[in-house]
Amino acid sequence: MITIFKNKRDIPQDITYIELNDIFFNQNTAEKLDERAAQFIEKIDDARLLSKYKIRSRFDDITLNIDRLSTGCKTVLNVFYYPDKVFCLKECGNNALEVLYGFEKGFVYSEYAMIPFEMDSVEVQTLGGKKVIDDYEELKEWWEDEE
Amino acid sequence: MKSRPAVMEHFATVHTSFVIDFTFTNNITILMGDSGTGKTAAFSFIKECMVTNPKILCIDYFDYQKNIKEILCQANGKLIVVDNADILLDDDTRKYISQDDENQYLLIGRNPKNLFTTKENLFELVSERVGEQTKFMIQPYM
Repeated sequence: MITIFKNKRDIPQDITYIELNDIFFNQNTAEKLDERAAQFIEKIDDARLLSKYKIRSRFDDITLNIDRLSTGCKTVLNVFYYPDKVFCLKECGNNALEVLYGFEKGFVYSEYAMIPFEMDSVEVQTLGGKKVIDDYEELKEWWEDEE
Repeated sequence: MKSRPAVMEHFATVHTSFVIDFTFTNNITILMGDSGTGKTAAFSFIKECMVTNPKILCIDYFDYQKNIKEILCQANGKLIVVDNADILLDDDTRKYISQDDENQYLLIGRNPKNLFTTKENLFELVSERVGEQTKFMIQPYM
């Protein structure tokens, strides 16, 4: 399950935090893409991965560079290919959040609640420790609780 | 917050096979919704108009290191379009936007914090095929 931080001070010093998902994807993640990325690209952006750096857009059925993926899709791919870094969650739509919340590992950060309508278990981490939450309302309460 | 658009009630442009046809009903429009609906593509088409239309000011993550509030304070009579708004706008800037009646805002993001907005400010992007073109419009977010 993914691990969520709600305060930057809770992120361990040996883990890098990435705020701008677009730039990180363009400069790092794009070159690591393989066939596993296709399912995420299709589910979130309704686009088809043609080759490592090309997608077929849902609009006009035209071929585009991979940098034209949505920021939400790029965030999901960043977390998937770099599960050792913390990525900003704020630019994910509900469709991207649903995919992200289903990952087996990865770190994300947002100071306010970003929860998909349907969710499984996630781990939340503060300086006080970690715990697993599998309920929407409980997770929302944790996020809104100012410790 | 319900307030009439200060700069324009309608914006339209064409970029090859893409048509933008936005009708604004509030001074602050928050454009949200799922990822991959074309919000940033629409932003890029509006940004193209900034070259010739002095009423358009576009801001996105390429302005990450700039003082966004200062840019807004210097603007007058503009439709200010902000992509990546949830990353670029801090609380102070959001409060400024909520009180700015000189400019109009189209904010692409999902966080309405400190903008003092209501559901009447929330919109999503929709698209439809018209012949060989794709037309983008905004509609109230459900």
